Amino acid sequence: MKPIENVPDRKLLLFKSCMVSQEYPGIESATGYAFDRLGVDYFVNEEQSCCTGIGHYTDLFEGLTTAAIAARNFAVARRCGYPNITCLCSTCYAVNKEACELLNTNAEVREKVNSIFREQGMDDLVYEKGDMDPRSNFYHAVEVLLSKVDLIRENKQLDFSGVKAAAHHACHYYKVKYQDVVGNPENPQLIDDIAAACGADMVRWYEDRTLTCGMGFSQLHLNRNTSLQVTKAKLDSLKNAGVELMLHMCPNCHIQYDRYQPVIEKEFGVEYDTVHMNIGQFVALALGADPYEVCGFQTHSVPLEGFLERIGAL
Amino acid sequence: MIVPPEKTAVFICHCSGNISEHVDIKAVKAALKAEGISVFDYEYLCSSPGQDLIKSKIEEKGLEKVVIGSCTPSKHGLLFKKCVREAGLNRAMLEIANLREQCAWVHPDTAEATEKAITLLRGKLKRLDRGEPLQDIKVDIFPRALVIGGGIAGITAALNLADNGVSTYLVEKDSSIGGQMAKIGKIFSPDKLAEECAMCSLSPLMNEVAAHPKITLLTRTEVEAVRGSAGKFKVMLRTRPGYVRDTCTACGRCNRVCPVLVENEFNCGHKDKKAISMRFSQSIPKTYSIDPDHCLQLNGVPCGKCAEACRTEAIDFGQQEEVLELNFGAIIAATGFKEYDASLKPQYGYGIFENVLTQMELARMLGINGPTKGKLARLSDTCNLDAGNSNPGNSTTDFSNAPTTDPSNAPTTDPSNSPTNAPINAPTNDFTPNSPESSSLKEKLSDPPVPGRIVMIQCVGSRDEKAGGIPYCSRYCCMAALKHASLIRKKYPDTEITICYIDMRAFGFYENYYRAVQEMGVSFVRGRPAEVIRKSDKSLIVRVEDTLNQKILELPADLVVLSAAMLPSTGTRVIAGVLNVSQDETGFIKERHSKLKPVDSSVDGIFVCGTAQGPKDITDTIAQAGLAAARARAFIADSPKVLEHELARINQLTCTRCGDCLSCPFDALSFSESGRVVVDPLVCTGCGYCTEICEKGAVQVAGFTKSQLKSEIEGVLEAGDLLGFVNSGISSLTCDNIGNSVLSYPSNVKLVKVSTCLVVDKELIMHAFRHGAASVLFVEDPPDNPRAEVIFPLALRHFEKLKEELGADGSRLHFKKAYVPNTKGLAGTFTSLAREGEMNGDMVR
Ligand SMILES: Cc1cc2nc3c(=O)[nH]c(=O)nc-3n(C[C@H](O)[C@H](O)[C@H](O)COP(=O)(O)OP(=O)(O)OC[C@H]3O[C@@H](n4cnc5c(N)ncnc54)[C@H](O)[C@@H]3O)c2cc1C
Ligand code: SF4
Ligand code: SF4
Repeated sequence: MKPIENVPDRKLLLFKSCMVSQEYPGIESATGYAFDRLGVDYFVNEEQSCCTGIGHYTDLFEGLTTAAIAARNFAVARRCGYPNITCLCSTCYAVNKEACELLNTNAEVREKVNSIFREQGMDDLVYEKGDMDPRSNFYHAVEVLLSKVDLIRENKQLDFSGVKAAAHHACHYYKVKYQDVVGNPENPQLIDDIAAACGADMVRWYEDRTLTCGMGFSQLHLNRNTSLQVTKAKLDSLKNAGVELMLHMCPNCHIQYDRYQPVIEKEFGVEYDTVHMNIGQFVALALGADPYEVCGFQTHSVPLEGFLERIGAL
Repeated sequence: MIVPPEKTAVFICHCSGNISEHVDIKAVKAALKAEGISVFDYEYLCSSPGQDLIKSKIEEKGLEKVVIGSCTPSKHGLLFKKCVREAGLNRAMLEIANLREQCAWVHPDTAEATEKAITLLRGKLKRLDRGEPLQDIKVDIFPRALVIGGGIAGITAALNLADNGVSTYLVEKDSSIGGQMAKIGKIFSPDKLAEECAMCSLSPLMNEVAAHPKITLLTRTEVEAVRGSAGKFKVMLRTRPGYVRDTCTACGRCNRVCPVLVENEFNCGHKDKKAISMRFSQSIPKTYSIDPDHCLQLNGVPCGKCAEACRTEAIDFGQQEEVLELNFGAIIAATGFKEYDASLKPQYGYGIFENVLTQMELARMLGINGPTKGKLARLSDTCNLDAGNSNPGNSTTDFSNAPTTDPSNAPTTDPSNSPTNAPINAPTNDFTPNSPESSSLKEKLSDPPVPGRIVMIQCVGSRDEKAGGIPYCSRYCCMAALKHASLIRKKYPDTEITICYIDMRAFGFYENYYRAVQEMGVSFVRGRPAEVIRKSDKSLIVRVEDTLNQKILELPADLVVLSAAMLPSTGTRVIAGVLNVSQDETGFIKERHSKLKPVDSSVDGIFVCGTAQGPKDITDTIAQAGLAAARARAFIADSPKVLEHELARINQLTCTRCGDCLSCPFDALSFSESGRVVVDPLVCTGCGYCTEICEKGAVQVAGFTKSQLKSEIEGVLEAGDLLGFVNSGISSLTCDNIGNSVLSYPSNVKLVKVSTCLVVDKELIMHAFRHGAASVLFVEDPPDNPRAEVIFPLALRHFEKLKEELGADGSRLHFKKAYVPNTKGLAGTFTSLAREGEMNGDMVR
């Protein structure tokens, strides 16, 4: 278990995610907005590259390439003096952590990666064993937000009282590295605790709460029906529980719910009232951010206008 | 102590050929006689004529020192010590040379064995020159025992001790003894297919505790601190006030008039208890007590209704807590278990859906003194009074949205508004709530539907390698589930019961019970359920894969019962810290040896039994408690304790009181009030770590002083020898076993016993080299017991340090770990090192 006290608020490299940048750029700007107001010392480095996650999980990138790219990103983080990699995406989080473990424990991989760097004259990227610590150099932005939950409660401008909300904690956060989760890995409550501090009425347990979002990377395309059925099962359960707002911590889950909810409605002949939001966007909103300028809600497929109006954010 | 040679004699035993067939005793006698020493031999020295011979020679010749050449001292050492003591000699004036296991039996060549026998005897003779009389160290054991925890384990232990005449204190933190067994209602038993009434077995025992003249019972009491060591523990006990004097007759009038309802821990948190109450009707002591957190009067709100109602003026709001400091010779920890917090597995809905219970909650429901008076019901059908209370206190997230009507939360309400015209109950029954809410509860209870479908989920928390679970089997829960299934089927034959299990563990004779329950028509599904889901009608669905036919099942259920794991109670964790005893990874108090010392804790004089030591049922708990009592009694009865092993001794003349030796790994050394360094004889293991630390040589292990060892070395060594320093524990036994296993090794292997190799310093090794040793070997006990676990790493480090300090000679120092069965390996080491030494020795010669 990761004690919340151990989550740092200094020297965080806010790790850019391609899914965030490409689909919901508001997640990054909203998280930055929140971090600024919560006194978090972070940095966004344009030199950083994709973690390969999507490619890796769709079998496009094999492990060695992923490890090499991770080693390069680690060098970027260390060089700019922000070695605490803080991810917006749970897949970046798991991939980076895993790659770090691999580079530390597997000399063969490490040497192979380093020899590629040396051959190409990129000696400054060479990774030495222990350069990064898989436990203490990798975080998810939601952990940082949770560590500031008291500040959020004190400084909130918008109260979510009366909003029935529920969380979807990403599998790649609490199932892949299950020994390194804040709280009980069988019942993560990070998002719930943050949102509750903003007044939201959290449905902390609902049927199939620990079910995946259904995306399964290539599954969404190869086994589309199964994938969407899983998503539907969860949306149904949220509907039964009367949840109007679903909070996310991973752009992949976010895509699966927000982009595909209208598809499921159409294909399965159902209707849902649930809207979707990343926890970073939610906190930014609570702290007074502009729904469009900062949170970027215009990029969402399930329109949030009705909801935002109701809570007085518009 | 040098005495003239004529005051010294050697006795050699033939051991009926065992020694005499390999050692030429005549030659030995001749060699020693030439040195002016009288030598006697006899067929069997251990026989009574043999002992008489020794005694008569001592008296006749006024002998002051005796060496016996015989079998290993671990066989007859005590006998011979007794023999010389009876003849008036101090035990330190006797040395025994092992001519059998370490000579005759391992050196087949007579000439070699004879030569070695002479050197061994010579070594002992020289050693005796340096011997100082040893005084027996005796320690008085305080003749009183403390049992902590009044569950069935503590009750059994206390009664056994007291029946054996030991004055015993039984300390219980709750207001009554009885523990969890008082709650479980019926108990499964290994020899019958019937369930017995727990209280019928327990209550007489509890009464016996109360009546026993040798038992002092202190309830509402906890152990705050323990000082001192085995035999004389100084224990501080703190007793919380109960605000009721002993004059209480348990008539229950107070309970009836008390306006405050509180959560009843005994009934798993149901709000059916008053602020003044007894834990249960059969409570011992049979005295009411006040819950100070909820009593109005004690929280500054005038009430005092109980005091008005009491006819014996037993209520005393002024009672203060009491602190007692007492001495005890031995302590038994019987602090029990608690149930795993099932809300850590939210997928099973515990604390979220009110119709999900633990086995303990079901046990309370089935108990006639439980919240439903033994009636099986769904909480959703019965309780609006205490809905949501099933959520255990230590859950981090509070799922219960249910309204609570806790009068104690509102101490400002005028108590006179509270109902006083409540119906009168049976005098000692404090389970029936008396408020109007409760009469509505009663009405609801009068006819709630009986749940028709029950699903039990086994191994909740147990046998679970996930982060929130525990890896072991809790041992009670398969049987508890079968018991509850059987009880329910007997009372409500139409109820369908399904038990979802990983393996059903009905160990030993319990298999019969399991079979009987199967025959009753209870269903079993092998699979660990994934999730419990609630439907809108509050009925539940258990999703599980039946792994025997690989089908996903959705089992409908009105009640879901979780068999939650057994964890060490909070009190067990706390007491382990206070007593400073070892715990296992989960927090149970660890026994010293799972087979040979199952109730000894890591600290001498402290014992453990029952579920404080590990998960178990009542049968095993009672058996273990009996053993703990026997062990504690033996410990106390052995007073004054004569310590068998040799201890560190401080020479106060040379000691500079620098305190360096206080780094003793066993904490045996301390400064006395007068500033001297003193040894706690009950704690010192004689390992000799301190002898290495003390620069002034002021601390030595008696019987293994440097000068004794030096002299023995001089006596035994010849050029080219391998000198082995052998730990007097397991290592010595292993060396003897080489002889018992008819193995052999060269006769230039000379073994010298030491308390541990920590007493061997650089000077001794250099001394050995000077006297011809080609190499030196440390033979140490493996870290298999608590003492050796501490000593082994120190000995290894000591060896490595010496090796370095010896420089070039370091290569002549060796280390070997001796396991009792590995006689072959040890003999092999002896042989190869001795051969090496012979070659070097040849060069020396
Ligand atoms: C639901 C359920 C059903 C069961 N059914 C059966 C059955 O049918 N048959 C069977 O054989 N077994 C059964 N068991 C197991 C049985 O309950 C235990 O084996 C037994 O109760 C253990 O007794 P104990 O004395 O070791 O512990 P406990 O009963 O836990 O007693 C410990 C006592 O120590 C006290 N205490 C704790 N800490 C301190 C402290 N620091 N200072 C002072 N006092 C302290 C506690 O208050 C308590 O009174 C069942 C268990 C459960 C949970
Ligand atoms: S006794 Fe049965 S239910 Fe309990 S942990 Fe062992 S196998 Fe699981
Ligand atoms: S001999 Fe060992 S236990 Fe005894 S005082 Fe010295 S170091 Fe401590």
